[in-house]
Amino acid sequence: MTHRPARTTRSGIPVKDYYDADDWRPADRGEAPGAFPYARGRRDHAPPVGSWIQRELSGEGDAKRSNQQFLDLMAHGQTGLDIICDGPSGALMDPDHPLATHAIGTQGVSVCHKQDFLDLLQNIPLDRISVSASFPPLFFVPGLCLAARAYGFAIDALRGSTVLNPFYSEVSGLGTNLPFDARVRLSCDVIEFCSKAMPRFHAFVEDTYFFSESGLNAVEEMALGFVEIRHLVREVQRRGVDIDAFAPRIAILVNCGMEFFEEIAKIRATRRLFARMMRDEFGAKDPRSWSVIVTSHTSGLSLTPQQLPNNIVRGTIQALSLVLAGAHAVEISTFDEPYRTPTPEAHLVGLRTQQIIDLETGIAKVVDPLGGSYFVEWLTAETEKRIWEMVVDIEGRGHPRDLNDSGWFRRFFDDRMRRYLQEIEQRARLVVGMNIHKLPPEKDTLLRDVSQRKIRPARERVRPFKEFKLNRDFDRTSAALRKVLEAAKTTHNLVPVVTDAFDAHATLGEIAGVVRMAYGEPFDPFGEFQSPI
Amino acid sequence: MTKGRVLLAMLGTDQHELGAVAIAGLLRDHGFEVVYLGRFQTPKTILQAAIDEDVDVIGISCHSWEFLDYVPELIPLLGESEVDAPVVLGGSVITAEDALAMKALGIAEVFDSDAQSGAILDRMSMLAAERRARAGIG
Repeated sequence: MTHRPARTTRSGIPVKDYYDADDWRPADRGEAPGAFPYARGRRDHAPPVGSWIQRELSGEGDAKRSNQQFLDLMAHGQTGLDIICDGPSGALMDPDHPLATHAIGTQGVSVCHKQDFLDLLQNIPLDRISVSASFPPLFFVPGLCLAARAYGFAIDALRGSTVLNPFYSEVSGLGTNLPFDARVRLSCDVIEFCSKAMPRFHAFVEDTYFFSESGLNAVEEMALGFVEIRHLVREVQRRGVDIDAFAPRIAILVNCGMEFFEEIAKIRATRRLFARMMRDEFGAKDPRSWSVIVTSHTSGLSLTPQQLPNNIVRGTIQALSLVLAGAHAVEISTFDEPYRTPTPEAHLVGLRTQQIIDLETGIAKVVDPLGGSYFVEWLTAETEKRIWEMVVDIEGRGHPRDLNDSGWFRRFFDDRMRRYLQEIEQRARLVVGMNIHKLPPEKDTLLRDVSQRKIRPARERVRPFKEFKLNRDFDRTSAALRKVLEAAKTTHNLVPVVTDAFDAHATLGEIAGVVRMAYGEPFDPFGEFQSPI
Repeated sequence: MTKGRVLLAMLGTDQHELGAVAIAGLLRDHGFEVVYLGRFQTPKTILQAAIDEDVDVIGISCHSWEFLDYVPELIPLLGESEVDAPVVLGGSVITAEDALAMKALGIAEVFDSDAQSGAILDRMSMLAAERRARAGIG
């Protein structure tokens, strides 16, 4: 059977057999790298090697075990950290919560109080290495600050980022059981705090990766991302923060799937849209506010549990497109991702893939090497147009809170999840090893043992954690929690009081619980715990 | 007439919902009633919903290893309460070895990522029809 390639991209953009000079918009022809509107990238020069931050997703078990993972990866040449917290921490639950029991440290690191942050970041040069955290920002930033204080780093020297997704997290796999207004407020609190106290830190990373793993295409991913960015920018401006005080630290963490040129066009289009929006709509004057930093994770959803070595090839192709597009940081989702967070073996393959691209291929020698390609330039312009049309459409549907509360966002994601699996089943989307060129299971064994190795839940954390709670100076803890509760009822920035609460030995679950209470929600959405204050 | 009532849930803190949502749509499109319980469920909440909703099949979507600990709790719990709806699991994290272990515990079926819609629908129809016959429904 022959399979003629689809005549549209994954986003449904029709393509012709070839492109020529007439397809390149005259308006785009004079664009240069390092200059407005930055479609061709933020920089006009490429460092000789290591032009992007090379990192792999890490974090498992408790904080000490994860710290060792970081040190091992750095010893192998990793140039940034990419930390993911476990399911319970992401859902703002402590490890002693009954719902957490079987998931402690199995899909990320379990972190819930001050000592965990100290253990997690011990011996990490926090002023030199960028720490990217897929971790609720209101909790990661205070934890990072406490670790910096303990290890003698100035807060204003801290590098790295923490991801934000107040609109979509709840309906796309990162539920925290916080109401919409609370989620937006927490995000803005962190952005505002960091704009003043942590000028090198990216507190505003729009994480379009995570929610687009629900089967969204490139246009949908960036449209939803822009809708969220625009709302948060307006909210932070409304607080009186100057756009140029925080816009230079906005970054977008995008997904990167298998549609090679569309992914490159998506990043180029995003940079151009962002630059125009910042300058012309939000009035930013600092060129650094116009030129958005784009980082990426390669798509975990594109990987298959069948024929696992194919995933190494997918990661390589995706990373290649990211380097060609000028991504500032890359994480390759590893070959074992269909089963687990990365094994040490997979970590090394992911990191080595990046290093080979960087050190052997020479493709990063030149900035935006695809600039001027008739097809890439046309696709960039077309993607840009479609993203913006969708942004306008969504914004025309009403306030994002209403779209959230009415279930519109939820339905949007549900429809895309459904569509994704239908495309695979109907072979509108061909996935080698899954719906074409299959192998019988008995022959499909390469890398299977290593990928199916399981991580045991770190239940041994629960007893010492309960003892820690019993032995702390609870008067001090409860006083600090009351301050969080009172501050959360006002418009005060919560970052300082949450930092103080962690310092007074309050826990992630407790702090999240009192924030819920301030918004009229139960302390524990599952009714297992009562408020300690 | 409905082909059966199916409860769909995910266990513990597993929030990867793509499979569950897609299967819910598939079942609804083919004449099943779906009681979508969604994320953050435990054996107790699944038991209660199975009783309250009088479902014919309980489907659990798995993208974490939590099923390994929860299923051994869930099966006896359902038995003690005389809930006779069969339990099926779906998800690409379930290895062939896990599937055998789960079936030994009393799981009626395991769908991996190779499972086709037609096969899923056929098997769910059969399990629902058997349960409805046992319960004297329709």
